[in-house]
Amino acid sequence: MNGAATTPVWRILSAGIALLAVLVLIYLVLPTLVIVPLSFSSDTFLKFPPSGFSTRWYESFAASTDYQLAILNSLKIGVPAALVATVFGVMAALAVVRGAVPFRRTLAALIIAPLILPQIILAIGLFPLMAKVGLIGTYPGIVLAHAVVTMPLVFITVSAALRNYAPTYELAAMTLGANPWRTFRHVTFPMIRPGVIVGFIFALTFSFDELILAMFLTSPTTRTVPRLLWEQLNFQMTPIIAAATVVLLTATIALLCLAAIAGAGARRRMGRPAEGVNG
Amino acid sequence: MLLAAPLTLLALFFLLPLLTVFGQSFAAPDGPLGTYARVAGDSALRYSLIYTFQTAAIVTLAALVLSYPVAFLISRAQGRWLVIGMVLVLVPFWTSAVIRSYAWLVLLQRRGVVNEIMLALGLIDRPLRLANTDLGTHVAMVQIMLPFMILPLLSAMRGIDPSMLRAAAILGANPWRQFVNVYLPLSTPGVGAGCVLVFISTLGFYITPALLGGSSPMIAVAIEQQVSRLLDWPLASALATVLLVLTCALFMLYERLNRRLAGAGEGR
Repeated sequence: MNGAATTPVWRILSAGIALLAVLVLIYLVLPTLVIVPLSFSSDTFLKFPPSGFSTRWYESFAASTDYQLAILNSLKIGVPAALVATVFGVMAALAVVRGAVPFRRTLAALIIAPLILPQIILAIGLFPLMAKVGLIGTYPGIVLAHAVVTMPLVFITVSAALRNYAPTYELAAMTLGANPWRTFRHVTFPMIRPGVIVGFIFALTFSFDELILAMFLTSPTTRTVPRLLWEQLNFQMTPIIAAATVVLLTATIALLCLAAIAGAGARRRMGRPAEGVNG
Repeated sequence: MLLAAPLTLLALFFLLPLLTVFGQSFAAPDGPLGTYARVAGDSALRYSLIYTFQTAAIVTLAALVLSYPVAFLISRAQGRWLVIGMVLVLVPFWTSAVIRSYAWLVLLQRRGVVNEIMLALGLIDRPLRLANTDLGTHVAMVQIMLPFMILPLLSAMRGIDPSMLRAAAILGANPWRQFVNVYLPLSTPGVGAGCVLVFISTLGFYITPALLGGSSPMIAVAIEQQVSRLLDWPLASALATVLLVLTCALFMLYERLNRRLAGAGEGR
């Protein structure tokens, strides 16, 4: 630990702890990367080590109409779901953090609950309800379901952004005669914009990855990428799945880089050092 | 006013479905508690519930032991190392569980990467059965849950004032006593929050156990099988209600711990 790590025994022990931590980080990251070399395999089935290098599985991935349709569906579902989640999540965060509402903590817990609850419960509850109103297999059905489970992500990031500065800015604007909408548009929104963008990206990422609700609420024509992957996993094990997952992995990492850039930009604009007080 | 729209969304697409599940669980032809009696009387389902609990406990404990040193190391890191540490935790956190479970299947299956490497090294003469075993599934589940443990631990550890440890050292505590009497108690809110989060998530785990398998289906897998193979909605709903009640109780515990964590952070 501290300066007390002077005797050899403690120094060996702390080196051991650091080594264990590094090994755990390798266990966390490495297994997923095994897909990358396999996706460039020239074999017709998953074989390790691959007998040759080829991009044939990327070519068949690019040519697959199933995947094209699924990617299009994931976008058609993820973007509107994340937009609904963002608008509603911002409203909820404003009301809970800035407003004078009773049962503030219970409300916050209720809004976060859909993210924590196992999705299988929500899925078997939504299925009969949506079947009754004819929303099964339609875009609005799955969009609304994804909006409910991703709203907590926006709520969390925007609440954190709102707690980062004192409400005096908004009070000043109101005192100077701005109505609530103008106060939000010109004072609050510019302050929380990075939180809103990060929340939107998180919601989008979550929707792109979500399987269980998609399994229950989409049809073969509206099925998303995770559902298609899942169905293929249970039938065949060709490296086309590996190629598809590498493409998805790259897309996820690209989205997270965007979120990180938005967050870093926010810290610069707030004029605080990179290591913020609340880190 | 602002709350009207989000609360409507929650009421229609979250609370109403939960009520539906609850209602369906009593809609058995053999009396209102018939489905629960069937759950209690079915030894496979009973075992599935116990197995799910056991798995959640094992995964939580393993994740805690493995995450603690990692969170400690990252909480002490500065500059570039801090960024690298956070990236190594956050990228898996946001990578789809379908993709990560698929990777484990590729590693653990009969002619998978692990078996091929061990065969090539001459450690074994024929492929071991690794997928469809409890061990293989647990190893995969722990790996998928690690970020859910590391992140709460990290947020508690970054709130610990290093001068506390210096004070303990000046007062003559050796590193072990500094850890047990000072550091560990200060990090307990993070330990509690992380454990509850991982336990809840493992209770409802579907993707990894469904793909890799084990000695019994987890509850979430059993619920899905009841619905899609046996079309037994009341029984599935009764299982889901059990899972719902357990998760709610644990979620309330989590909220309390989280509040203490936030309180500790503000107190500084």
